[in-house]
Amino acid sequence: MTHDDTLAAALAGDGFLLFDGAMGTQLQERGLAAGELPELLCLTDPEKIAEVHAAYVAAGADVVTTNTFGANAAKLGDAASVEEVFSAAVACARAAHPRYVAADIGPTGQLLEPMGTLAFDDAYELFARQVRAADAAGADLFVIETMADLAEAKAALLAVRENSDLPVFVTMTFQEDGRTFLGTTPEVAAVTLSALGADAVGINCSLGPRDVAPLVKRMLPWASCPVMAQANAGLPRVEGGETRYDVGPEEYAEAVAGMLDAGVTIVGGCCGTTPAHIAAERALLAGRRPALRALRDCLTVAGPQRLVALAPGQVGVIGERINPTGKRKMKEALRSGNHDHVIAEAMAQERAGAQILDVNAGLPEIDERAVMRRLVSELLSVTTLPLQIDSSDPAVVEAAVRSYPGKALINSVNGKAESLAAVVPIAARYGCALVGLTLDEDGIPATAQGRLAVARKIVAATDAAGIPRHDVAIDCLAMAASTDQTAPRAILDAIRAVKSELPGVRTVLGVSNISFGLPFRPLLNATFLAAALGAGLDLAIINPGVRRMMDVVDSWRVLSGEDEQARFYVEHYADRSDAPGAAPSPAGEKDAAPAPAAELPADPVERARALVLDGRAEPMGEAMAEVLQCHDALFAINEVLVPALDEVGRRFEDGSFFLPQLMASAEAAKAGFEVVRAAAAPGDAAAAGKGEVVVCTVKGDIHDIGKNIVRMLLENYGFDVIDLGRDVDPEVVARTVEERHVRLAGLSALMTTTVPAMAETIELLRERAPWCKVVVGGAVLTPEYAQMVGADFYAKDATETARIAEQVLAP
Amino acid sequence: MAAVREDFDVRSVERGEVLRYLGYAGQALTPELDARIDEVVETCLATCRPQGVVRVFDVAGRGEKNGAPVIRLSGTALELAGRSIDEHLAGAVAVGVLAVTVGMGVEVELRRLSLVDPVAQVIFDAAGTAAVERAADAAEASIVAEAHERGLFCGTRFSPGYGDLPLSTQPVLLDALDAGRLLGIRLSPALLMSPTKSVTAVVGLFERPRPEAHASCGGCPCRDFCVLLRAGSTCRG
Repeated sequence: MTHDDTLAAALAGDGFLLFDGAMGTQLQERGLAAGELPELLCLTDPEKIAEVHAAYVAAGADVVTTNTFGANAAKLGDAASVEEVFSAAVACARAAHPRYVAADIGPTGQLLEPMGTLAFDDAYELFARQVRAADAAGADLFVIETMADLAEAKAALLAVRENSDLPVFVTMTFQEDGRTFLGTTPEVAAVTLSALGADAVGINCSLGPRDVAPLVKRMLPWASCPVMAQANAGLPRVEGGETRYDVGPEEYAEAVAGMLDAGVTIVGGCCGTTPAHIAAERALLAGRRPALRALRDCLTVAGPQRLVALAPGQVGVIGERINPTGKRKMKEALRSGNHDHVIAEAMAQERAGAQILDVNAGLPEIDERAVMRRLVSELLSVTTLPLQIDSSDPAVVEAAVRSYPGKALINSVNGKAESLAAVVPIAARYGCALVGLTLDEDGIPATAQGRLAVARKIVAATDAAGIPRHDVAIDCLAMAASTDQTAPRAILDAIRAVKSELPGVRTVLGVSNISFGLPFRPLLNATFLAAALGAGLDLAIINPGVRRMMDVVDSWRVLSGEDEQARFYVEHYADRSDAPGAAPSPAGEKDAAPAPAAELPADPVERARALVLDGRAEPMGEAMAEVLQCHDALFAINEVLVPALDEVGRRFEDGSFFLPQLMASAEAAKAGFEVVRAAAAPGDAAAAGKGEVVVCTVKGDIHDIGKNIVRMLLENYGFDVIDLGRDVDPEVVARTVEERHVRLAGLSALMTTTVPAMAETIELLRERAPWCKVVVGGAVLTPEYAQMVGADFYAKDATETARIAEQVLAP
Repeated sequence: MAAVREDFDVRSVERGEVLRYLGYAGQALTPELDARIDEVVETCLATCRPQGVVRVFDVAGRGEKNGAPVIRLSGTALELAGRSIDEHLAGAVAVGVLAVTVGMGVEVELRRLSLVDPVAQVIFDAAGTAAVERAADAAEASIVAEAHERGLFCGTRFSPGYGDLPLSTQPVLLDALDAGRLLGIRLSPALLMSPTKSVTAVVGLFERPRPEAHASCGGCPCRDFCVLLRAGSTCRG
């Protein structure tokens, strides 16, 4: 075979490709000091690096991997430039005369947002520089390896695809529990990275080959590209001051044989493997043919920790609640930036049985792109459900799906030429599943055949863009039965037509429009949902919190055979009854245990005060509602809640309360305030806030506990808190304060290394919003330090911050 | 020689330890809060995946760098600079280096709680701190055992950022233990470790027993993890 044939055959899945083994452990044996940057040896001792490569070539490796694992600008610092290292590293590899040189790219060494502080775009830039350097140095392909974070793997893969035409292989590293350090499974990695255009996906490092085998096998049905494995030589053990790996070449090859039988076609080795291991693999490959693989015909979407895969005949539920249309509280949440309500809706929908969450931030007066990105990041922190990115603006969709750590579902494209041209390429480029609406320049066709014609147009575009049909879901668009009673039948016929005329394509439907303008809508919605499922609907966009809708889904799954042996149904519905008085208990939830019967005063005012002092939020709503029966909002706040909170503050000051007590009390008071605010007439001054306060943890710092405590207490005292979160750029603080003319900003820093970012933020605030006072706090701060960074106030704890806020924002 | 990862069992974290991190000083708790604390601590310990890496390096020499004393170690690029570490390791012939973490799962849950339940976040955070300190105790016990094999005696732990041992020691220290690959520890430009519930430290190995450390098994933080004690001996010879 010629040079190009081996790689081309491997890329097509028709041939094997053998990589080399470990570089790091080989260098350690040759005296590399612990903690030394091994990449610098490409410059200082190229012969040594070439010697390692040559040994692997002699052992039969097709591909050698450059010694550039950590050669990114952040890790190299001033020691050498990325370009110098890659140029030298590729030269070292070439010197060994391998068939191919793979440019190696390892993790940045930093944690990406939102868990860490490295922005996705900055990670991308670090990788892009490596890619350009390797490409210029003449590498033949890229291998991105030892990734634990799917977002980081995605940034690296995009950097290769957008800065080079060379093939790119991506492998992640897993622990014994079958997940990466950040919780990604082999299935999620395979689906996401192969959809994003990796030429091979797989596993490296992690464990010995026996433990890697079952994990890599889990990737095989889900990867639409060749699958690769480079395991460690077992586990290292220290014997007499020497580290030894416990799996020798023969045993290693034996385990690799099992992987080949299952369909893996690209192999090599990681930590602890030697040229002898590679030689054993070379012998193993002789005379073998790649095994046949069977890919699943499923619509797939994935969050970083969870894969949702729908085989034909299975139905899925998309939660529709995170959408401001017609929802006052959702609108308020998106406008104010206080996303508690969004988060609560997300968690409630997950509990109720949603498998995917629709996310829509479409409000005319907000920066939809910024809000969408923040919502996605927050939702990723509170739910493992994959997201459906819902926007009519292609730029918003692209911004959200580009950095989404998984495979998103895009809602939506339609049959208009402009929409097809803008959205289909985004879905193809980022490997997303796509919802297609059956409307075009002429509006929504009235007939089933008309809708089918639009669907054909959409599917022609997705076919041409290479999007697999099982990743396209056509929405035949539910219209109100009250305005046209032929509409429901047309929709059902359209679903049937799409399923039969466009084989492989899936269908999706936002159900609730059907009942618009009619009374008792849930009943119509449920009946229509049942009919749509019967017509072949695959995905229902509904409010899973409406019991009747989930009843239809759960019962349909019995009738369709999806719920095998009706296990789920029996488990969750055995005790259900329509008998009068029988309270339906929500699926999966235990009945709430009665609150412990502590003695509480009968007088609601006394009771509410006692509940704040005891920190019991649950009975608070009822107590405040009773208070409001005989008193107004002003009384409830000034005579009940605030005095109780003051007492809590006193007790915290004198040490008779400790932190969790202070916080539990704040939580109870918050529950009380919510009742007062909900009951107050619009414009009621008593229930209106005392003014806005911006709080955040400064750039570079992710410790947010102190900031969260401050936020709770300020909210208690009636301030409207704009919580910008943690690791917040000075510019974002300044812009928010400036735009909303906020009079007090609270900044927190926990590390000496992040205090300079605090000073920088204050400086910017002085320049842009000189009216704004600044209060600072955090473990490393002192009154002197606070003065040094230019703050107006130092607060030693949350209660003091509340006092300062009262003082600054006094009317 | 490559670094080797160890798994630790930190179920011995006591409620009292967690309460101390929360600033508890004997206040009377309602049964509700009491139960809530227990529940969150239990969840945290169930979420923890305590792992660590230790390596022992011989002291290669002492010198001066930028006017401050510096200790050089053999077989590693790691250097320990500053007066405080110089005093702490005065007379040490070798240095044990450790990195431990309770894992990214704890970090993920902390982030989730920060958005949905700040009260639980505070308790969970304290439990995570107690757990990672226990993991550090366990790693220290491994160093004590290695010291014992060599006839040496351990001092107490000392971490970058304490005294004038600079935080900038972290990158090389973590690389020397291959902590990114083996433990998943990442380091931000502000030198903040993620997971935040991670600890790095160094421990001196001396030719004579240290009065301040491991003086009795009763008060020794390593007690629960001590292989010597299990074998019926002690590190004091």
